[in-house]
Amino acid sequence: MTSLVSARNVAKHYGAVRAVDDVSFDIEKGCITGLIGPNGAGKTTLLKAVLGLTDCQGSLSVLGLDPFRQRKELMQNICFIADVAVLPRWIRVNQLLDFVDAVHNNFSRKRAEDLLANTKIQPKAKVRELSKGMVTQLHLSIITAIDAKLLILDEPTLGLDIIFRKDFYGNLLEDYFNEERTIMITTHQVEEIENLLTDVMFINDGRIVLDASMDALPEQYVELLASSENADEARKLNPIYERDVFGKKVLTFEGISREQLTGLGELRTPDIADLFVAKVKGATA
Amino acid sequence: MRSQLALLQRELWEHRSIYVAPIVVALLMTLAALTGQVSVDGMDHIDMGIVGASNLPENARAVVLTGIMIGLSTTFVFAMLIMTIFYALDSLYAERKDRSILFWRSIPVTDFETVLSKLLTAMLVIPLVAFVMIVVTHLAVLLITSVWVGVRGGSGLHLIWASAPFFDNWSATLIFLLALPLWLAPFIGWFLLVSAFTKRSPFLAAFLPIAILPLLEKMIFGSVVFAEAFFARSIKMPLFIDLGTMARLFEEGENFSSLGDAELSLLGLMDLGGFLSNPGFWLGLIVCGLFTAAAIYVRRYRDDS
Repeated sequence: MTSLVSARNVAKHYGAVRAVDDVSFDIEKGCITGLIGPNGAGKTTLLKAVLGLTDCQGSLSVLGLDPFRQRKELMQNICFIADVAVLPRWIRVNQLLDFVDAVHNNFSRKRAEDLLANTKIQPKAKVRELSKGMVTQLHLSIITAIDAKLLILDEPTLGLDIIFRKDFYGNLLEDYFNEERTIMITTHQVEEIENLLTDVMFINDGRIVLDASMDALPEQYVELLASSENADEARKLNPIYERDVFGKKVLTFEGISREQLTGLGELRTPDIADLFVAKVKGATA
Repeated sequence: MRSQLALLQRELWEHRSIYVAPIVVALLMTLAALTGQVSVDGMDHIDMGIVGASNLPENARAVVLTGIMIGLSTTFVFAMLIMTIFYALDSLYAERKDRSILFWRSIPVTDFETVLSKLLTAMLVIPLVAFVMIVVTHLAVLLITSVWVGVRGGSGLHLIWASAPFFDNWSATLIFLLALPLWLAPFIGWFLLVSAFTKRSPFLAAFLPIAILPLLEKMIFGSVVFAEAFFARSIKMPLFIDLGTMARLFEEGENFSSLGDAELSLLGLMDLGGFLSNPGFWLGLIVCGLFTAAAIYVRRYRDDS
């Protein structure tokens, strides 16, 4: 496999604030990587650096290019949907298609029109006349019609209702994704994307606290649901995090085999949201 | 090239006033010509005008027609100046205000190309649209006039179409329309820069320094370098031979007897070579280039989206 994104000691400071602090990671072709972190953790800054929208320290290579200095070449092969990257409100749908067609070498207008034909979006409509959900649908249709290698989604479904959110991810997998394409995604609604991800990265205070493939998570992490008595026994194995659920203790372990915990209670693989809390809160406790 | 054309097209989509405003001005002028002719139609003695015009030598009629055509063009020039100011101030501000800048930057187009498209729109597209509408208005107003003259028994073909110095007038107009933004380029560059950096009210941010700098200079240093630079830039465009000669020619034109056989030529009043070799012209372009480069830099490096 080839690395599409390769970051080594990437850092970005805003004055004294370290938005991204010495981060290194690789993203392989054909992966869907979730970048999960609390507000202000540096997710958006990191994505902006990958997109070449902001300069950063360290070495960052995206599709073999320096994103900040070769943004134009990069943008031929990267697409981007963000809650904040809104489509201009004054533009008409067909004008938008004309424009993207003229500036993007890899855009298939036919494909975009076919995708839009399945929606309620009229070619003559102005973006300002569309609902927020429809604007996102329009944006996704355009991006699906661009033969790009890397798609970056930053809170793409923020403010959308549940139907649009489900459709969005449905279309993303069905129409957009294939083994030639790679997706990097951040969202607060972790549960909704958990099943799509092949890889996950946690970021907190500008640092990466977890970088793993989803397949590897069950081997590395285990959650024990134990009674209070058994919990004392289990604590000897150094859980990274502990919480109470209905009078029982839930302990999260890292690097502990399931055999070692057998007999102490119910074992399961933590879901992403719980694991995230364990990693982030456990680190500060 | 294809991207640059698409970017220019996008400016016209976003700023429809670039062509809507001149069309409105053209319609108003045409309407004024129509109603003006109809109202004088009620007066019988106006036929004297036709008689008078028929007795004038052709070069004198050309002067009168030139006056009419310049009068019509002037309104467009003012409209164009106002529009250029508003356009330039809005061009890099609107995309930040409506938060579409990240979308525009997610497309394979450099910041240089984008800012260049805004500069070209201000310097080239707006004047060319104005030019087309001026020509259309000239033709419409002269057509209305010649129909009116024809109805009153005169020969519109002879009095107007054969006498109007179209080539001279339109060439001179086109040169003037293209030269004006080049001469005012430092202001346009400054407006682009303000539009790229200001957080709010670009209009204020652009004009406050223009008003305050000369005042401060006068108060602190007692000198008037800025004031004179601004004044010279706004008033004294070195495209014409000199304003005194021009005024005299027009006065003589009013007093047709002194005109003799001399031809009035607007092109003849222009000194294009002198304009292009004027150091002030080139200095202005350099200042504009610096401001534009700064605008590109700000768009590329600012990070507040």
